[in-house]
Amino acid sequence: MAGFIGKRLVLSLITLLLLSIIVFVGSQVLPGDVGRNILGPFADQQAVDALNEQLGANESLISQYLDWIGGVLTLDMGDSLAFRRPVQEVLGDALVNSAKLALLAFIIVVPLSIAGGVYAALREGSTRDRLISLGGLSATAVPDFVWAVLLILVFSLVLGILPATATAPPESGFFTQVEYLILPAFCLVFVLFGYIARMARAGTIEALDADYTRTAVIKGLPQRTVVRRHVLRNSLLPTIAVIATQCGYLIGGLLVIETIFNYQGIGQSLFRAAQEKDFPLLQSGVMIVGIVYLVATLLADIAYSVLNPRVRLAQES
Amino acid sequence: MDETQRRVDELRRRSSEVENHLIDELRAGKIGRREFIRRGAIAGTSIPLLGLVASACGVSREELERVDPPQTGAPQPGGTIRAGVLAPSGALDPLTVTDQGGLAVLGQSGEYLVWSDKELKPVPRLAESWESTEAGQVWRFKIRQGVSFHDGAPLTPEDVAATFNRLADPDAGSNALSVFGGVLSKGNAKAVDDTTVEFQLDAPNGNFPYLVSSDNYNAIVLPASYDGDWEKTFIGTGPWRLEQFRPGSGVSYVRNEDYWDPDRRTVADRNDFRFYSNEQAQVFGLQGNEVDVLLQFSVSGGKALLTDPDIRTIELQASAHRQIHLRNDVEPFKDKRVRQAMALLVNRRALVDGLLDTKSDFGNDSPFAPVFQSTADIAQREQDVRTAKELLAAAGKEDGFRVQLNTWNGFEMPDLAQLLQQDVRQAGITLDLTITDAGTYYGEATFGESPWLDSTMGITEYGHRGVPNVLLGAPLLSKGTWNGAHFKNERYDSLVADYVAAVDLDVQRARARQIQELLLDESPILFTYFYYYLTGTKNDVADVDVTAMGHIDLARTGRVA
Repeated sequence: MAGFIGKRLVLSLITLLLLSIIVFVGSQVLPGDVGRNILGPFADQQAVDALNEQLGANESLISQYLDWIGGVLTLDMGDSLAFRRPVQEVLGDALVNSAKLALLAFIIVVPLSIAGGVYAALREGSTRDRLISLGGLSATAVPDFVWAVLLILVFSLVLGILPATATAPPESGFFTQVEYLILPAFCLVFVLFGYIARMARAGTIEALDADYTRTAVIKGLPQRTVVRRHVLRNSLLPTIAVIATQCGYLIGGLLVIETIFNYQGIGQSLFRAAQEKDFPLLQSGVMIVGIVYLVATLLADIAYSVLNPRVRLAQES
Repeated sequence: MDETQRRVDELRRRSSEVENHLIDELRAGKIGRREFIRRGAIAGTSIPLLGLVASACGVSREELERVDPPQTGAPQPGGTIRAGVLAPSGALDPLTVTDQGGLAVLGQSGEYLVWSDKELKPVPRLAESWESTEAGQVWRFKIRQGVSFHDGAPLTPEDVAATFNRLADPDAGSNALSVFGGVLSKGNAKAVDDTTVEFQLDAPNGNFPYLVSSDNYNAIVLPASYDGDWEKTFIGTGPWRLEQFRPGSGVSYVRNEDYWDPDRRTVADRNDFRFYSNEQAQVFGLQGNEVDVLLQFSVSGGKALLTDPDIRTIELQASAHRQIHLRNDVEPFKDKRVRQAMALLVNRRALVDGLLDTKSDFGNDSPFAPVFQSTADIAQREQDVRTAKELLAAAGKEDGFRVQLNTWNGFEMPDLAQLLQQDVRQAGITLDLTITDAGTYYGEATFGESPWLDSTMGITEYGHRGVPNVLLGAPLLSKGTWNGAHFKNERYDSLVADYVAAVDLDVQRARARQIQELLLDESPILFTYFYYYLTGTKNDVADVDVTAMGHIDLARTGRVA
């Protein structure tokens, strides 16, 4: 297992290096420069040049990249060019915000969709199965921004029971923060439920049909024990992989949700960094999202091998 | 004839042309009751007459009052006023701020020498008075005594001089350089005694007080020792002082107990600015009771607010507009008759009534908006398809032509591009729309590297200005750095120099007339409308003072019972 994790870590570092180069090259294609973006198109060129000089944006691209990568190795991501504050500070707040929203959505959607999927599979072909399958699929098919606007209209503007935006007032307590995050979290639940529940349902149906399940039933084990010990253990393997891939999306891919709910998460920070050509912020933000993806898939692989002895044994051999 | 019609006809005979137009719009259902009252008040119609007209059109007095309830009572002291603004796009530094969220924040704790009020009148603030000598080339400002910065240091003429020399410094990265270029050079603002600052200008300028006013939003007065780290202190002399700055999310202020002006001592105890990333979230924020005031919203993004009975709209005439440039130096717009034809094909009435829901003045193809004091009254250009076709035929383009129209996907500009496309099609002209993001449209913002400055035809957004000087210069002067039309006209350049130098309003008006007539004839850029500045407030909030530049003065704002 240790060798397996070590190999994965080395591969992850290579992936991150490649990612940083891709983002660096990609960011050079964007038009304009940081001084021009800060001062706007109508600013005097002399002022733009002076600001670029002050910000160090006039240095060669290779030098900017090497400075940044050198800083990262010493855990210093540099300063945001647009916000003139340490990147750690700008992204730290955004990362905490994204993590709060992702965690709440995760806590709701994972048990709900797995339970829904397994329940539907155990009653395959019934009205309840169809209700869960089709309902989940329909909810997933509706774009997240539609859910967002719909939920705001109903729960904030018409009923007035939940806030219209997701940023809680300063110094808010835990429950107030949760209250502010409920609507965006439910948008994500609606978007993800159908997908995860469908995977759980398919895996469960396959496991229910397997020889080992039939053997367990013939042995006379009670249905609950069969499901818990034999079915779930096998049926959740593909579901875990799906959940892991959604982690990166939940942290870095929520630009639309964050925008509609006026929430300062990683998605908005990255979007603004790309708009402003704020290279240190953009590069560091993408790295963080990349790390989240890699850690999530690594954890999924570990969970996979724990649940599936065949994988574990293959790795050990 | 029914009774309603008879009563309306009787009132029409007593009403002006503008009032009759309003009556037409109300009866046709193009405007609502609230809009009718608002527009009528702007046109100078008395409230009783508006009530009579509305009643004749079948709207009861009670309904009118229910739609727009009158505010009663003075704002109550205490409490917190919450305002929503778009998030500043970068670090908050008076030297570099360039967006509306940033300038609104600057104006809470910072102050200007002169306040350009909502009617564009210069009101003394940190300057008590000013005068010019040498025909507008030298200006002297008397600095108010007894004013302190938030750290307790007294305001001195040296602070004022240092502020403007910093803004005019080409090496400082100052956004105000586009205002002071060719007007004020670094080092030419000097403290000449204990109470006076003298500005020696590069050339005479009759509107200089506006250039040091809140219209030039970067010009908040800072201590001479200012080192650029404004976000730590928000230092200034204003009625609010920083309580807490939350980067990316908002800023809270408390009353400055040592503020120099007793009349502007804050009514509320606190003022809380909340940053929003987009207009839709702002609208939800105001409707969802997260904020009491929304600094600005557009007709297209904030339609829900215009019909919300809990929201009151403040509407200001402004000079904000879109410029539709036609490149004068390349085909098909080399011939001015073709440019005139383009201008005559545009249905301005449809733009103002449809696209902007009547919240706009008509443009007459020059930067002189109706809101400017110096704008001369000349005949409004209207849609005239027949004359446009004749002009095209005379220019040898009777079969029309095909041209690319560039713009970016912001505000109502994509809709404007489509409406233009429909208008000019009547004369066989085809516009191929190229709508990109802002970064692509502006490119490097220099000639040869920017669709904005290089395209044959383009639509560009311009914000409000208190005086037309900047708009007359960079987009239209032969050497103008924003001259996407590539318009070069010596007589125009000379008239603008005369206009800018004129101190006397009558002389400015005379030059303005000549400039307006010249631009109407040459039509290098189409100015089709100047849209209003819209602010939303909750009904229980009073005395919100905004300007079309985007400043918001909440010093006297409070809740009413």
